[in-house]
Amino acid sequence: MEIRPEVVEGSVASVDARRRWTRGGRKQERLPGEARRIAYVYIAPAFILYAAFNLVPLVQGVNISFYNWDGITPGTWAGVSNYGDFFTDPLIREGYVHVLQLMIFYAFLPIVLGLFLAALLSRIRIRGLTAFRLVLFLPLVITDVATAVAWTWVYDVNGPLSTFLRAVGLGSLVPAQGWLGSFNTALPAVGVFGLWGAFGFCLILFLAGVMKIPASLYEAARVDGANAIHEFFAVTVPGLRYELQVVLVLSLIDTLGTFDEIYVMTSGGPGTATSVPAYLVWRRMFQTAQVGSAAALGITLMLIIFAVTWAANKLMDRWSDDE
Amino acid sequence: MNTSSRTTVIVNYVLLTICALIAIYPLVGVFLASLYPTGPGSQPSGFSLPPTYAWHNYVTAWEQGKFASSFQTSFIVAAVMVPASVILSVVAGYAFATMRFRGSQVIFWLFILGLIIPTEATIVPLYYDVRAMGLLDTYWALIILETSGEVAFGIFWMRAAFMAAPKSLLEAARIDGANSWQTLWRVMVPFARPAILTLTVLCFADSWNEFFLALVFTINKMTAPAGLASFSGRYTQDIALVSAGAVIVAIPILVVFIFFQREFLRGMLTGAVKG
Amino acid sequence: MASSGVRIKIALTVVAIAVVGVACTPGGSVTQATAPPAPAVTGVPDTGPITLTVWDQESGQVSKVWDQLNADFEQKYPNVTIKRINRDFGELKTLLALAMSGPNGPDVVEANQGWPDMGHLVKAGLLLPLDNYAQAYGWNTRVSPNVLRVSSWSPDGKEFGTGSLYGYTTMGEIVGVYYNKQILSDLGLSVPTTFTDFEQDLETAKQAGQIPIQFANNDAFPGIHEFATIQDQMAPTSYLTDLIFGTQRDQLSFDTPENTQAAATLQDWANNGYFTPGFGGAGYDDSVSNFAKGQGLFMITGNWIVANLGADNKNFGFFPMPPANAGDPPVATGGAGFPLAIAAGSDHPDAAAAYIDWMTSDHASDLLLPTGEIPLHNGKTPTVEPGTVLADVVNAARTVGDANGIVPYEDWATPTFYDTLTSSIQELMVNRLTPDQFVRNVEADYKDFQTSRP
Repeated sequence: MEIRPEVVEGSVASVDARRRWTRGGRKQERLPGEARRIAYVYIAPAFILYAAFNLVPLVQGVNISFYNWDGITPGTWAGVSNYGDFFTDPLIREGYVHVLQLMIFYAFLPIVLGLFLAALLSRIRIRGLTAFRLVLFLPLVITDVATAVAWTWVYDVNGPLSTFLRAVGLGSLVPAQGWLGSFNTALPAVGVFGLWGAFGFCLILFLAGVMKIPASLYEAARVDGANAIHEFFAVTVPGLRYELQVVLVLSLIDTLGTFDEIYVMTSGGPGTATSVPAYLVWRRMFQTAQVGSAAALGITLMLIIFAVTWAANKLMDRWSDDE
Repeated sequence: MNTSSRTTVIVNYVLLTICALIAIYPLVGVFLASLYPTGPGSQPSGFSLPPTYAWHNYVTAWEQGKFASSFQTSFIVAAVMVPASVILSVVAGYAFATMRFRGSQVIFWLFILGLIIPTEATIVPLYYDVRAMGLLDTYWALIILETSGEVAFGIFWMRAAFMAAPKSLLEAARIDGANSWQTLWRVMVPFARPAILTLTVLCFADSWNEFFLALVFTINKMTAPAGLASFSGRYTQDIALVSAGAVIVAIPILVVFIFFQREFLRGMLTGAVKG
Repeated sequence: MASSGVRIKIALTVVAIAVVGVACTPGGSVTQATAPPAPAVTGVPDTGPITLTVWDQESGQVSKVWDQLNADFEQKYPNVTIKRINRDFGELKTLLALAMSGPNGPDVVEANQGWPDMGHLVKAGLLLPLDNYAQAYGWNTRVSPNVLRVSSWSPDGKEFGTGSLYGYTTMGEIVGVYYNKQILSDLGLSVPTTFTDFEQDLETAKQAGQIPIQFANNDAFPGIHEFATIQDQMAPTSYLTDLIFGTQRDQLSFDTPENTQAAATLQDWANNGYFTPGFGGAGYDDSVSNFAKGQGLFMITGNWIVANLGADNKNFGFFPMPPANAGDPPVATGGAGFPLAIAAGSDHPDAAAAYIDWMTSDHASDLLLPTGEIPLHNGKTPTVEPGTVLADVVNAARTVGDANGIVPYEDWATPTFYDTLTSSIQELMVNRLTPDQFVRNVEADYKDFQTSRP
C-alpha cells in the first residue's frame, strides 16, 4: 500500500493546475508576472537534477527496451519484440490481470466504502474527529514495509486471522497453505492489505469534502422530498466529485505501481499468483538478466499509467461538466 | 434531540470506532507480538497480552537486524535530502510563481510529468548511470535520486503556496529596493513558512519510507525499510523478533507524525479540500 | 490539459531528448578475462596492506566457521584485511552480476554454479580463469574432476562443464532423506531399500497419523529438491547430467515420460497428504526446526541442515533416496557446494587465490565438517563418530559419489530455470498443473534457452 503524499498532491496538482490553465489564459490573476530571465537561474538547479535522473533515464530506457540485453554483454537489436511480449508473454499478461484484480481492493472498495461512510457521518457533528483522523491515517503514514510485515503475521496459518476464524467455528475457511501461501487467497489477501491502507485516506478526504457541501443543498433536496438514497446520489456524490477524481486517479496509479508489499509479503508467489508488472520489472532486471524486457515493461507500465490517468480525468471531467 | 437522531449518532460512532479499530489492530497486534518471549512453544495469538513482557526482543532485533547501520543510513540520507529538496523546491517554485519567462509552461509541465512517471520506467538505465558514476552502495545515490524525484512535487507545492501571496507583498518589497533574491528570503519565505514546514515533513516521510531505491542501489548501506525486509526474510520463524523489527522501523515516522500531525494532514488533504 | 501549443512544445522537447539519447547499443564491449600467470610463490604477496572484499551466502554455523577462518587468515597474513559481505542466497543472486560489473566490486565471490549465475558472469568476462592458480596450488589433484567440471566454462561462457576453471571448492553437498529413528521404529519400519518401500513407508506413517514428510515450500526452492530426488530415481542419470549441462542443446527435451512420471508421483504424494499440512505457506527454516523437534518421519533436503539437527545427534539418520530396484546404484542430487571465484576486476588476484586456497584447505574442511559440509578431498576420510546423523550423511555422499550417481542441481540448466521450476512445482503440488502441463511448461523454458544459444 503506498499512497505517497506527493503523488496525492501531484494529482491534486494536476487537477488544480488544469483548472487554472483552462481559464488562466484569459484571466491573469497571477502575481506580477514580471518578465525575468533570472528565473532560469532559480529553476536550473532543480531542473538539471530532475532531468538528469528522470527524463534522461526515461529516454535511455526507451533505447534499452529495443534490445535483447542481459545487462552485461553487448545487446542485440530486438526491434519492438520486447513490447510484443506484452501480448504474448503469459507472465506479463497475468501480471496485468492481477493488477486489475487488485484495483478492486485498492481503488473501488475504498472509494465505495469511504463514500458510504462519509455520507452517513455527514449527518452529524463528530466529536473527537481529530483523534479518529489520526488513527485512520496511521496505515498510510507508517512505512509500508513495516505494515506489510505486520500483515504477513496476521495472515499466518497460526496468525490472528486464522485464530479468530477457528475460534468462531469457521476454521474450515482457513486455507491449508495459509492466506498468503494459497493460490486462491494470496492475491485477495494482498488486496485487503491495500484496502486497509487506502480506506482511511478516502474516508477522511470525503469527510472533509462533505463538510464543504452547503447545507442548503441538502435542505433543498429534502424539501423536494428526497430520501437518504436520493440525497446521496443527488447531493453528496456530485458534491464530492473533485475528491473522487483525486482518489480515483491516485489509487489507480498506486495500484499499477504496486511493489513493496508484493516483495515483502509474497515475492510474487505462490507460483506466480501475485506477480505484478512492477515486480516483474525488478525480477527481470536483477534475477533473470532480461534487462531489455525489464526496460520495455517499465516503459509500458508508464504508458499505461499515463493512459489510465488521462482516461480517469477525462471521465470525471465529463461527469463534472454534465452537472 | 429526538431518538432517531440519537440512534444515528450512536450508529455513526460505532461505525467510526470499528473503522478505527480495524485501522489500528494490526499495528497494536504486532506490537504485542513483539513482546512475546521467543523460542519454541511461544505463539503470539494476537488477541491476548504476552505472558511476560520480553522487552529484550528489541535489543536482540536491533542487533541481529543490524538496525544501527540501517538507521544511520536512513538518517544521513534524510539529513541531506530533506534540506536539499526543500531549498531547490522553494527557489524554483518562487520563480514559477512570480516570474514570466519563455518556456515556463513547458518546463513546469515537465516537472508535473515527474509526478506520474513510475520509478519502474527509469530504474533500469538509472542503475547503469549510477554505477557509471561510481555511486552504487553510497549515501549519495539515495540522496541524489530521492531529491531528484521529490523536487517535482516540491516545486508544484511551493509554486501554489507562493501564488497565494498577495500582490501587495511583492510590490512593497520592490519599493523597498529589494532584488528578487532578497524578496524571496525576506518576504516570501516567511509568508510561506507553513507550506515549507509541511513540505519538510512530507520529504522526511518519503525519505524514511523509501524502499525500492534502497533495494536496488545499496548493498551494505541499507535503509531502515530495506534492512527490515532483509531481516524479516531471514527470521521468518521468529514472529516476536520480526515484529520488534517492524516496530523499530515504524517508530521514527510515528514520532514525526504525532508531532507534526497538522502538517501531515494538511499535506495530504489541503489540495483536495481547496478544490 | 494544457493548451495545444504547450502540448506540442512538450512533445517536441521529449522528442529532442529522445533523438539525442537513442540509438546506442547498451552494454559496450566485453573483454574476456585472461588467466593471470601462476604466482612465483604461493601465498599472499607482502606488498603492503591489502583489503580483500569477500561476498558470501553462508548462514548459521557455517557462517561462524567462516568468521573464524577469516580471522585466522588475517593472522597468517597480517597485511591482509578481509571485508566480509554476507547476504542470503536470494539477495546475493540479485546483487552479484550487476554489482560485479561496476567499480568497487568484490575480490572473491561465492557464486552459484550453472547458467543463471556463474555462466552469466563468465560470459560477461567478470570472473578470472583460475587454471594457473589451480596448477600452482595443486587444486586439480585435490578433488575429483567432477567437482571441477561444474565450475568449468568455455572462456566465452557459451559451453558449460568444459574449458577453464572459474570457481573452486572442496566441500560437497548431497540431497537425500533424513529420518527420525524413533518414529521409524515406532512404526515398525526399517530404512527402505527400494523406492516402492519408501512409498509404502509414507503410507504407513500417514495411516499412523504421523507427518510422512516434513516440508515447507513458501521459499520455493525446497520444492526443487523434493522433485529432483524422485526424478533421479526415474530418469537416467546421464540424461539428467546432459540436460543440465546443455551439452546436446535442444536435442534433449524435458518433456519425457520419466519426467512426467516423476511429476505425477510428486503430485500424488501431495494429494495423499504425505507432506506437512499447509506446506505452501510455511517457511523452510520452520520446517527444519519442526523436524528437529520430532515432527515428521522423513525430511527430504540437503546436508546443510546437519548443524540444525546437531552433527553428533544419534536420533536422526540419513540415506540417499532408494533406487527403483534393490541393489541398483544410488543416485542423488548434489555435488560441489558453492565455489569461490575471483572477480576479474580484483586488484589483488594473487591474494584472492591464496584466500581461496585457505578456505579449501584441510584445516578449513576440518572446521566445516561438523556443520554438515562434506569434504571432497581425494583420499581424505573424515573422522566422524559412527551412528551420528553426520556419519550417515558423509557415508551417503561417499557411496553415491563412488557409484558416480551424483546429479547436478537442475536449476543450473537455463538462466530462468530456477524461476520456472520453482513456480511450476508450486503449482503442480496443488493441482493447478497436471504432470503433462508441468513438463511442457518447463520444456518451453528449456527449449527457449537452448535454441537461443549461439
